[in-house]
Formats: sequence, structure tokens, C-alpha cells
Amino acid sequence: MNVIRRVTVNAAPGRGLTPFALYARSRGIPATVAALVCAALLTLWVAGRPDAYLDPYRRMPLISLAPLLTSSAIGVSLHTYTRDLDDTAVRPWWPRRLAHLLVLAALAAALSALAVPGLSQEFGAAAMVRNTLGAVGITAAAAVLLGARLSWMPTTLYFSAVYLSGASSRVSNATVLAWSLQPGPQRGAWAVGLGLFVLGTALCAARGVRPEGPRA
Amino acid sequence: MNIPRATGMPAMSGDDLPGTATAMDGGGLRTTAIRVSGLTVRHRRTTALDAVDLDFGPGVHGLLGPNGAGKTSLIRVLATVAKPTAGQVEMLGSDLHGHRERSAVRRELGYLPQDFGYYPGFTVREFVAYVGWLKELSAASAPAAVERAVARVGLADRIDAKVKTLSGGMIRRVGIAQAIVNDPRVLLLDEPTAGLDPEQRVEFRALLRELGSTSTVLVSTHLVEDVAAACTDVTLIEAGQVAYRGTPRSLAALGANGHESDGNATERGYTAALRAHRAARAAGAGR
Repeated sequence: MNVIRRVTVNAAPGRGLTPFALYARSRGIPATVAALVCAALLTLWVAGRPDAYLDPYRRMPLISLAPLLTSSAIGVSLHTYTRDLDDTAVRPWWPRRLAHLLVLAALAAALSALAVPGLSQEFGAAAMVRNTLGAVGITAAAAVLLGARLSWMPTTLYFSAVYLSGASSRVSNATVLAWSLQPGPQRGAWAVGLGLFVLGTALCAARGVRPEGPRA
Repeated sequence: MNIPRATGMPAMSGDDLPGTATAMDGGGLRTTAIRVSGLTVRHRRTTALDAVDLDFGPGVHGLLGPNGAGKTSLIRVLATVAKPTAGQVEMLGSDLHGHRERSAVRRELGYLPQDFGYYPGFTVREFVAYVGWLKELSAASAPAAVERAVARVGLADRIDAKVKTLSGGMIRRVGIAQAIVNDPRVLLLDEPTAGLDPEQRVEFRALLRELGSTSTVLVSTHLVEDVAAACTDVTLIEAGQVAYRGTPRSLAALGANGHESDGNATERGYTAALRAHRAARAAGAGR
């Protein structure tokens, strides 16, 4: 540390130092977007196979699995390595957290919807958007309770349990419980999915994710 | 509670300090940047701070105490990261209860947490710029402020290196750089010398003295020699209470008569002050 000597500095170039770029990189947004694109491409490839294209019920695993992948990526992106420093920020965090979730959820929903063209009355774009939003809502709420790194867990448990129980007509016909297995236009399932998205996003924006690390 | 106070210490009385507060310090006036009264912090059933009254003006203030004494709890409350269970905290003339006041104080605050964390993909420049952004440095001034802060901790030649490639001591210096990027009026450093080698610690103390000439610097440390070399005064915390306030010299005077095998005079004074406080507490509890 050279303390006594006065240091002359040149104005640094602003490369990569814009607030938006710093925030995006701090939260691993580029990697998250890459994960969303990969999930969409994978979904597109599977949905385009002849059997899935002709039989809408073969898309049921897709409209559960793709939202699971995308919401997990979004949940992990909420992690911060510098919680104590972030808490000394001059501006409140909730608008940034809200924007973070809304932008990524919108992107995930749009990419996933484009990956399942057609069959809108069954398991097409509408069901995919609904499930993606609902999954993001559960994941965001889980990040508040468990921390960002484990936020994928409740969503995975719920989607897996409902999907595996889907063979039972009692479960698959329960609109509220099995909202993620309902066809696209089902209003009750939309209400649940959207409700979860609004609740989870609002909770996460207001409270922030649970601190992780030595002072958690 | 009767806090041992060394002769010659500024007699700072809360009654004398209206508004942004001034108090007599030797022969002149000085501003009280931080004042806490009745500060209590509880973590579940543990009391980390027990109705503590303290004030700090410009200068370098050492915060000493054994593990779990409440030093980090005090620093976290002052950094606006943790909320107190009870009591008042006033900084730079503002009460920290209001959102607007808290934001204004944060702009003038530098903070080095014990475990500050960093983003693995960030370079030193990017990490310090990120904190500058949190502190709302203007886009025009931020790049130069980042370079200046990094140069002050002696990492100018590593400014574009990834933080994860640096040694532990260098990472600690990056932490100090982020804490001073906004030229804070109040600087809170929690164990800043952990991981620094002896030469770096000597240079860091010089930096502390330089910063303390214009800012209020509060340094929490286990290293008594850092306090002796760099601090204008010292506060000893024990079991959530203020056990001693004085100058490094007065603390050393408490240990003037010991043997060298028990450490240097300041270390012996630290031990003597701690034991005196414990004895006073035990006597008070026995009554």
C-alpha cells in the first residue's frame, strides 16, 4: 500500500462498468439468459418430434420440465455474494429485485412459449406461459424462505409430485392442486398460476432473498 | 455502569451535543459523527450489546474486545446492515430510523465487513466500481474514484486482475478499497488487517492515520498493536458492555508494571482493563 505518495490516476475507460452491466454480471444474468435459451431450444427440439407434435398429451412432461428448468435458473440468479455490502446501498433494493424477476420471467415465458408452437387448446404456448409464471412465483417465494441457492427445491418437489400423481384422475382433475397439469385455456389453473407468480414476486421484491453464508 | 475512563480523554457528554453535535476535545471543537445511546442488540436469547452509550468524532477509533464481545454487532448496526433491538443511533447528525436519513448516511459511509464476499467473475476495478454504484457515485467521477481507491491500497498494478486470482491479503485490500471508494466521512472496518502481512499492516496503519485526519474511522480488531500504532483512542467492549475508554497510551499505562513475558504494555493494559471490568461486574452481580 503506497500511502504517503499521492497517486495520479487517469480517468479509466468505462468499459463494462455501467451500472446495468455491473448488476447483470453480479447476478450472473448472462449465464441465466443462456440457460433460458438452452432450455427453450431443448424444448423446441423435443416438442418438434412427430409423436409429441401429433399427440398433445405427450407434451405434458415438457410443460412441467421446461418451467422447472427456467425457474431454477432464475431463482439461482437471485443469489448475491455481497449481501452485507448490498445492504448499505443508498437506494432501496425492491425496485431492482422486482425488475429482475419481471424481466427474466417475461423472457423465460416468451422463449418457452415459442418452443411449443400450435395446440393452444391443449398443451401449447398458453399452458407453458402459465406454468412458467407459476414456477417462477414458487421459486421466488422459496428464495425468501430458503435462500437463492435452494430456491429450486420446492418447485421441483411440487412439479414432480403433481406430475407423478397425474395418472390419478382425482389429482389430474383437481384444478387448484394440479394447476400445472391443466390444458392451456383452463381459467382456474391460470388464476392459481398467476396468483403464485404475483405473490412470490411481490414477496421476493419486498423482503429480498434469505441471507446465505456465515451471517445467515 | 461505571466505565473506567483515562485521564485526559475528551469529556463527551450527550447533554452538550445538540443537533450535529460538537464537544470539547482538548483545546478545540470537534464534531461527533456517531452517537449511540442505550443501544441494545439481541440475537435470539443472546444479548450482543447491552444498553451501550458511545460517541465518536473524527479520528481513528480502535474497538477492542474478546471474541463474541459485541464488536461486530456494533459495527453492523452502525453500517445500517442490522437493526438494533433498542436504543438510538445518530450518525452525521441524522437519526437512522427514517429511510431518507438512512440513505443520506449510507452515501457518506464506508464499510468493510468481516466476510465481505466478492463476485468471482469480477476484476478489482469492477468490484470496486460495483460498490461505487451502490454508493451512487456519479458516472463521471466513478472511474477516477475507483482507480484512486485501488491505488491507495497499493493494488494499482492488479486493478484489472480477477479478484479470485488474488491472495488473501490482497483480497482484504480490495475490501478496504471498496470501503473508501466514496471518500466516506464515516468508515467502519471490521478486522481489516486479517490476512495482511507485517509490511502491509504497517502501510495500512499509515492509511488509517491519513483517513482519520478527515473522517471518523472505527476499526474493530483483535490486534492490540494495530490500535497502539494507528488509533487516536480505544474502546474496549466486553460481554456487550463498554469496559474501558481511553487512549492507546492510557491503556498501555494500565499495563506498565507487568512482565514482558505477558506481552507488551498495551496487551497487558488490555488484559488488566478486561479483568477490572469483569471484577466490577461480578461485584455488582454479587450485591
